[in-house]
Amino acid sequence: MEKLISASLIGLSQGAIFALMALALVLVFRSTRVVNFAQAGQAMVSTYIGWEVVTRTENYWIALPAAALAGALLAAIIETFLMRPLAKRASHGAIAPVASIIASLGVLGVLHSGAAMIWTTEQKLFESPVSVNGIEIGSTVYPFSQADMLIISTVVIVMLTFAFFFQRTSLGLSLRAAAFQPEISRLAGVRVDRVRTIGWALSGAAGAVVGVLVTPGNYLSPFSLDILLVYGFVAAVIGGLESPQGAALGGLILGMSLSFTSIYVSSGLTFIVPFIVLLLILLVKPKGIFGGGSSRNA
Amino acid sequence: MHSTHRRRLILFIVVGAVLFYFSSRVGILRLYQGSTVSMYVIAIGSIILLTGYSGQISLGNGAFMAIGAYVAVLSQLYLDLPFFLTFFVAVLGAALAGLVLGIAAARLTGPYLAGATLALAVALPSIANLFPVLGGEQGLGYDSGNAPSLFGEVARFKWLFWISSLAALITCLLLQNILKSRYGRAWKSIRSNSVAAELTGINAAKSKVLAFVLSAGIAGLAGAVLTMSLGTVSPSAFPLSLSFALITGAVIAGISSLLPGSLVGAVVLVGMSQLVGALTTRFEIGDVLAQNLKELIVSALLILAVVFTPNGPGEKIREMRDHRKHHSHGGHR
Repeated sequence: MEKLISASLIGLSQGAIFALMALALVLVFRSTRVVNFAQAGQAMVSTYIGWEVVTRTENYWIALPAAALAGALLAAIIETFLMRPLAKRASHGAIAPVASIIASLGVLGVLHSGAAMIWTTEQKLFESPVSVNGIEIGSTVYPFSQADMLIISTVVIVMLTFAFFFQRTSLGLSLRAAAFQPEISRLAGVRVDRVRTIGWALSGAAGAVVGVLVTPGNYLSPFSLDILLVYGFVAAVIGGLESPQGAALGGLILGMSLSFTSIYVSSGLTFIVPFIVLLLILLVKPKGIFGGGSSRNA
Repeated sequence: MHSTHRRRLILFIVVGAVLFYFSSRVGILRLYQGSTVSMYVIAIGSIILLTGYSGQISLGNGAFMAIGAYVAVLSQLYLDLPFFLTFFVAVLGAALAGLVLGIAAARLTGPYLAGATLALAVALPSIANLFPVLGGEQGLGYDSGNAPSLFGEVARFKWLFWISSLAALITCLLLQNILKSRYGRAWKSIRSNSVAAELTGINAAKSKVLAFVLSAGIAGLAGAVLTMSLGTVSPSAFPLSLSFALITGAVIAGISSLLPGSLVGAVVLVGMSQLVGALTTRFEIGDVLAQNLKELIVSALLILAVVFTPNGPGEKIREMRDHRKHHSHGGHR
């Protein structure tokens, strides 16, 4: 019973992180058809900015929005000065289907090496605003801390804000329209280019929040968020890459599978589980759970 | 058709002879770099076949290299296979893994395939820690043998260079022939329009799986070559950055240019370390900068290449020439 509760709680906390990272990737993919591998690097740079703020002000609650702002700005810059011109230049030939993936790998490399030059590869300690120790109930200590609760509640708040934004605001509506039918939206007066940049900025902010949530209790280094990119991407692909609900579900599925296998089977399986889960789901649904066909109206 | 095959064969024999001649006239460092370049040529070739021709992207070719490497080492360790045969087994083993994944991958497009192969690249090296027979982090040793006595006493690095450059030459020759054959044309037609390709009688799914299998097999050979020059195999030799480096190498000189594309890409990847080393000593750059300069330059180069010469410098030059011709015609009118 204890095992079951522990596994579920860890799965929930991990799943929330994966879900938010997946959402960041989905936001970009939906609006510009780019699988943004630089997301890990963008989140990492934003987290370093959050770390700078936290070491100066000693206030986590200033660092979190500061990092989110930095993440949004960085993403907007990448979209405006690299991805948009690239889409026009590399629109034909053998490179066309993969050009943006390749460019984002290049950006990831630049961010990695740039961050290592500025902040060195030495691990930085990022203090958590709340306790990272397991919660004690009765005589048993569960591997679930206040920090995990902070993660889950923040992710839920961010997700609900996004859902409200997409469903209930006119900017959210034009974002969905531009993602679904760019040409028609343009005719309907949506400034598609600007809306796309906003989509990127939102994604950058979400990625930054992931970094600032997950780093306390761990260490920060230029490569510390890379593995989250893999998990987030797997979660996004499980969900179908285009649907925010899919991202949330994919994150949860992945988080639960990881925590249950590591508690019930072996922690050595951490890197193999995502591949197996992904393959199983893609064999049944090659475009993910919510992907393909009619669900593009999400 | 036959004469082009023969011409290619003769060309490759000549290149081989030239390499053989120079192998006795350069130092150990150059021989080692030559082996590494050969390894990269093979590995980049596997990407060019897969991405440049069949239009599929793999972020996991480093994983197929790992499979090839481990199969080579295990077949030597447990089956006592002679050195040369381990290479063939490595190709077969990696190709078999490619077949399994390729059948699944044939249903996946673009980003979904990228996701599956990325997860594979992360998953695979960790398997080495699960089964004691694979040697864990320490890895397993690999004996690359000695040159046949007919060559007399051959230094180790020279022997390694011979093997790896021979493997690279054979790979390029075979790949060139495959890419120019009806298979190559089928891949290209699927890449540009799969519906139209199916209408001309091409089985798109089968062709894609075939490309995946061949690419995996070639990557497996590159893995065996890498293991041979390292003398051991261990999970740390196949990080995710290796898979990314292969893509960089394939893109720099044009994703569908096997020759000279793969060679240019390989030389850039290997030469950059030396260039950065030279820059560091020349300008007395600090340690922190120097350690990261190589990745910065390579990544920046990748971005510049994909923005300014998306389909390789070759196409760019052709485009500019056409443009000029067009202009001069306009002037006469």
